[in-house]
Amino acid sequence: MNKKLLLILLLLIPVCSFAQTFSVSGTVTEAETQMPMPGVNVLVKNTNTGVVTDFDGNYTIQDLKGGDILVFTYVGFEPQEIPVSNNQTTVNVVLKPDSEALEEVVLIGYGAQKRDEVTGAVSSVGEETIEQLKPANVAQALQGTSSGVNVTFNGGSPGSNANIRIRGVGTNVNASPLIVVDGFIFNGGLQDLNPQDIENITVLKDAQAAIYGTAGANGVILVTTKKGRKNQKMRVSYDGYTGVQETTRKLPVLNAKEYALYINESYANSGQDIPFNNVNNLENETDWQDEVFKQSMVRSHNFSVRGGEEKVSYSLGASNFYQEGIVAPEKSNFERNTAKLTLDVDLTDNINLSTKLFYTNVQVKDINAFSLGSVLFNAANIAPVISPDQDNLDGTINLGNEVVNPLTQTRNTYNNSVVDRLSGTVQASIDYAKNLNFKGRVGFNRANTRDRDFTPIYDYGTGKIYTTPNSSVSLGKSFTNDYTAELFNTYTNTFAEDHDVTFLLGTTIHEVKSEGLYGTRTDVNANSWEFADLGSAYGIGENQTNSSYASIFRRLSYFGRLQYGFRDKYLVSAMLRRDSSTRFGPNNKVAYFPSVTAGWVMSKESWLNDSDIVNLLKIRGSYGVLGSDLIDDFKYLSLLDGEATYVLGPDQSLVNGNALGALPNPNIQWEESKKLDIGLDLNFLDNKFNFVYDYFKNRRDNLLISNLRVSGILGTGAPGASGPTVNAGEVVNEGHEFSLGYNDNVSEDFSFSINYNISLLNNEVTKVNNGIGYIEGGGFGVGQPAPARMQEGFPMGYFYGYRTDGVFQTQDEVDNHPSQQALGANAKPGDIRYVDLNGDGVIDENDRTNIGDPIPDITMGLNFSFNYKNFDFSAYSFANLGQEMVRNYERSQPNVNKLRYKLDRWTGPGTSNTVPRATVESTSNNAFSDFFVEDASFLRIQTITLGFTVPKKFTEKAYLDKFRIYGKVDNVYTFTEYMGYDPTASTGEPIGGGIDYGFYPLPRTYTIGVNIQF
Amino acid sequence: MRKINKKIATIVLASLAVLGCSDDFTDVNPRYTINSETYFASEDDYNNALIGAYDILQSTYVNVILGEIASDNTHAGGESANDVVGWQQVDRMEHTPINDNLDDIWDWNFAGVQRASYILENKDKIDFEGKAQIIAEASFLRAYFNFELLKWFGPIPIKPEGQFVLGDETTFPRASKEEVYTYIENDLMYAVDNLAEDAPEIGRVAKGAAQSLLGKVYLYEEKFSEAASQFNEVISSGKYHLYGTEAGENYENLFEYLAENSPESVFEVQYTGTEGAGFECLQCSEGNVMVGFSGIRGYSGPVFASGYGFNLPTQEAYESFEGGDARKDVTVLDIEAWAAETGATYNIGNQDPETGHTGYYNRKYLPRQNDNLGDANLTQPNNYRAIRYADVLLMAAEAMVRGNLDEGQARNYLNQVRNRAGLDDVSTSGNALLDDIYADRRSEMMGEGHRFFDLVRTGRATENIEGFTAGKNEVFPIPLEEIQFSNGNWKQNEGY
Repeated sequence: MNKKLLLILLLLIPVCSFAQTFSVSGTVTEAETQMPMPGVNVLVKNTNTGVVTDFDGNYTIQDLKGGDILVFTYVGFEPQEIPVSNNQTTVNVVLKPDSEALEEVVLIGYGAQKRDEVTGAVSSVGEETIEQLKPANVAQALQGTSSGVNVTFNGGSPGSNANIRIRGVGTNVNASPLIVVDGFIFNGGLQDLNPQDIENITVLKDAQAAIYGTAGANGVILVTTKKGRKNQKMRVSYDGYTGVQETTRKLPVLNAKEYALYINESYANSGQDIPFNNVNNLENETDWQDEVFKQSMVRSHNFSVRGGEEKVSYSLGASNFYQEGIVAPEKSNFERNTAKLTLDVDLTDNINLSTKLFYTNVQVKDINAFSLGSVLFNAANIAPVISPDQDNLDGTINLGNEVVNPLTQTRNTYNNSVVDRLSGTVQASIDYAKNLNFKGRVGFNRANTRDRDFTPIYDYGTGKIYTTPNSSVSLGKSFTNDYTAELFNTYTNTFAEDHDVTFLLGTTIHEVKSEGLYGTRTDVNANSWEFADLGSAYGIGENQTNSSYASIFRRLSYFGRLQYGFRDKYLVSAMLRRDSSTRFGPNNKVAYFPSVTAGWVMSKESWLNDSDIVNLLKIRGSYGVLGSDLIDDFKYLSLLDGEATYVLGPDQSLVNGNALGALPNPNIQWEESKKLDIGLDLNFLDNKFNFVYDYFKNRRDNLLISNLRVSGILGTGAPGASGPTVNAGEVVNEGHEFSLGYNDNVSEDFSFSINYNISLLNNEVTKVNNGIGYIEGGGFGVGQPAPARMQEGFPMGYFYGYRTDGVFQTQDEVDNHPSQQALGANAKPGDIRYVDLNGDGVIDENDRTNIGDPIPDITMGLNFSFNYKNFDFSAYSFANLGQEMVRNYERSQPNVNKLRYKLDRWTGPGTSNTVPRATVESTSNNAFSDFFVEDASFLRIQTITLGFTVPKKFTEKAYLDKFRIYGKVDNVYTFTEYMGYDPTASTGEPIGGGIDYGFYPLPRTYTIGVNIQF
Repeated sequence: MRKINKKIATIVLASLAVLGCSDDFTDVNPRYTINSETYFASEDDYNNALIGAYDILQSTYVNVILGEIASDNTHAGGESANDVVGWQQVDRMEHTPINDNLDDIWDWNFAGVQRASYILENKDKIDFEGKAQIIAEASFLRAYFNFELLKWFGPIPIKPEGQFVLGDETTFPRASKEEVYTYIENDLMYAVDNLAEDAPEIGRVAKGAAQSLLGKVYLYEEKFSEAASQFNEVISSGKYHLYGTEAGENYENLFEYLAENSPESVFEVQYTGTEGAGFECLQCSEGNVMVGFSGIRGYSGPVFASGYGFNLPTQEAYESFEGGDARKDVTVLDIEAWAAETGATYNIGNQDPETGHTGYYNRKYLPRQNDNLGDANLTQPNNYRAIRYADVLLMAAEAMVRGNLDEGQARNYLNQVRNRAGLDDVSTSGNALLDDIYADRRSEMMGEGHRFFDLVRTGRATENIEGFTAGKNEVFPIPLEEIQFSNGNWKQNEGY
């Protein structure tokens, strides 16, 4: 009976329940703006029933019963729980921003910190900046936006490398920072990343990076990619732009008539027959730079889907980016395709699993972009009296062996390089006990590179170094495979309410393996790119070469970090990392890197707590030791990898043997960087102003000097041999960084922000312990001594040459001056007068000195943006002051074209005291001197963007969340007195950077684009 | 309590997992690379190391071209008076301890010494048939490089027991000239005793090469009878003769590809154009860099290929040949006459009166048209005839006259050389004969890098070389860097 009754009752319950349900509707608005909030999750607590607010913030939820609790959640806002009672029909909710969530979180490596509690020196660039800049290469987003970070490019060739230097050049080896993408070391170039996948870039500039130990000495760049958020409705977005690019500059060279007159004068001055008898009737008047520079295009498509449910978030995306060069667009271009997938799942309340897969495909075609013999070098030096159609320069005025027709050169350039990169990560995070979290993660990168290069048979003219009697094809295939596996344990607790403790303990193993295979074959079928494959080439004999390499690198690390905070007011952290690396010698297998940071948040003290003016005042400091192991592998071993090739036998065939390679150094160890930073953070006037100041001093010790010059008796002059890699130098970078920002939401319709930063840097080499006290690098002209040096007491890579003192006006002046014969020729009136620095009565090598350096003394950035109603505007600019560059794109050959400054040459006493005479005689005027060193300070207006977001009321009808169109100009204008193409370009070499071989200028780009979200 | 224990256990376990990897992870060996610790374990290793030592011979091109430029035979030339400034300075006899090109000679020849020493210090690792020949070749090569260093720089540091190691530059002094000579003699005597009469392969050394070099060393030491006896052994071996004196040979081809490794060649440095090369490593080239550098600038015409226009014979050198000497036009190319005859065109580079254009080119080592790989200026395949039988005859004649040994034989040797050049016998004696030998030696050996050292060793440099300072320029300065590396151990040569 009881059972039956129970059954009946049970059957009735749903019916009864049904009878008692009701529905509720309402509007969710945002507390500050009073604007309706679309996309808010409304959930009935402890059920799966839920809805999302519509575009007007409205919702209706049904089947409620009395006592149900509605939960309103939205990312970045405090959730609200509201119980509903029977027959209630309207629940309007106002959501307030979650102050915790709003507080910016800063990554610090193996963890994150609230911005206010960060005790290290950190710069970060957010999504908004990247959105506004829409850079082709992510590194551009750091230019001028991050104090202490200097970015140069290897010229404007599409896909060219960025050289990032954090707080100066600390080393003569490899000064590039460590790049960490979503926690994993990224060994590729930043040009392989899709900028629009990136949410945030954080730069760790000081000893806080010690958590990266032997990889962190050059600073660390932490890149965070976009991913889906939980409880976020699916957001589909498309970003696309297209643009036109052009050169910003042409070198000022002589036109045909000026050229002919100049050449005639130089021959006449030397008592020789003049080459141009009728300068008014020249056969051709070619502006070679006009011939070479083209307008070209750039475009980008980026598609992404992001979203999340309560326990799962996801994102997927794909992009295509294509950029042509402004020189020979069809032979010089860059295409990047990317695809990505991320997934984040809460398996249980305690276990979270996340995974990511990135695929990148990059294809590059390039031309000889900078060096003696580059296309632009040829365009600047070839005579304007030659016709653009003249492929073979025989019969024209002799221009030496190097200068050829740049148009022919690009036509005969055929190459293609493809990189396929697949990166993936898996991470499991387990809260396995109270206050304890354990993370295990594995990441890998797999990069395949395929290079193909074809050189056709071509005769550029007799003696020209590019003349090729035989076609050839070269193929290179290499792959690099790396993985990182990490385990780390984090303990977080608060004791007695006031004492916050975080303790981290972890280990990382990292391995990079790479292999490559190369082959060359001559006699390509039909002398054509179409058949440029080893299998379609028929060459036999010694010219057919092949080679391969295989390398391995491993690093094992343990690290620990203890962070302690007292009432968020006094903050201390201490770190220790232990590394062992395959690159270190057996005597120095293991390294320890300790560091400490501390901060005092004064604004939390009672005497400042209530201040209306000061919102945040924090003093912080850090000190620690970091390392760098960016040297070649196995330099501690003596290997038989030298070159041993001789010719033996009746057929004079090449035979290969063995010979020792580099001298080993069993004591080799990592470079050590001791970093001190003292900083101040200040937010004031309602957080509208923020100010950051840092003083830093980095002393890089035990600098790894590779191929150290040692006595020749050790045999290091042999082919394939080299000096040892030795820890023998020291460099100090010291400086100040200031940044000041002002952000104001003036009204509902108008907000703006302006940010300015300035970094002052002093770089000095304090020790070069290689027996001769300096290391040389770089190249100038042909057959001249190396122009750049690293030497104690001077900036890294300073220019070492003669100082000039005007131009000799009379023979008397020449006679009364020390002999300049040792520089190549006795001076005559009209020649450059060099300074006898050591006063020994003769001008010779000993009179060379510091004539400039490529490291800027001051770098600045000024960025401005505002929003007015539906318009947004932003402008970015940056400047480097106090940097010098070397003009090294003039071929010192009598008949090549000249730069216009030569019009001001000396033609007789009193005519010029700056530019030497025109002559074809041998002179000393081309010795490396300050005549060739120019001030390359500049101010560049980098980007101006104007955008318009179509008002919601129109876009809604098309079911769009957002529709923005914008126009943008990149590389708008550069204020500089530098004569060359681009003062922002550099090879980035620590010794030899700043020497301008005729850098391909970065293009100016006019872009229009759209952002669409739905 | 149990609960706490459980927690601790969890923490410990998790931490153990964290600390689970050991340093063995970073104990790896380089992949597919030969480690010196296990080398010299097979006959192949010895053969391969020997190729490494021979390889360095190719970089001695600079000894040859700069030896010519230093002498009264040629101007430096080049594009301008600044082109390869170290050579220009040597031409003007204004060179200083800072000279990259002299530094090359020091570095590259010592590299040869080191590679030969590497074999010699490991000569007892294993035994196999034919090892003595390899050791003897290594000894010859070490002596060859050491002799070059002695000629250029005077006393040098020596280490007969093996390779120099880091730090030796501060402890091994510059040995006396006598010690260096003894060291070279010992290496060569070992080579003479152990080398086969016939080289195992074309391009490798035979006994005659070691004897000739030993004789030359004695001649430099003015040990005339020892020198003469070595040369006589070579001459009487019957292995060599003057090219052009037997059927099927034509003297005019002596420096063409056709006559490479000919019966006149006692020792020849081998080059090929089948491998490319670049300026970043001139010593890596398998071609004769000297040849491309000696080529006619912007040349377009028959027979020859263009080059950089260095090493230009002077008018005086061209006119120093006797009338009717067949060697004149084999040795020197008169470019104006050639252009007039063939319609060839060319450019003129350096026009400095002291170091520039002369109108003449070093025809023995001009680039010939061929299909060498790029950079074609660096990969000319012309072999360098390092020791020719004519040289042996003339050195023998000189030793016999200066040592008052046998003037008749000396005249005979001299006349063999003269006759081959289409000249009549001389019948002089005493100093006149010696002068004839010297004069013929210049004509016979011009363009081959010997002239400067011949003038110096016979005390005739001051009178012949403009700018030559006696007591200083007999040797070249030790590179300044080397003086610095030695940390006071080595003193600079007198006058520098």
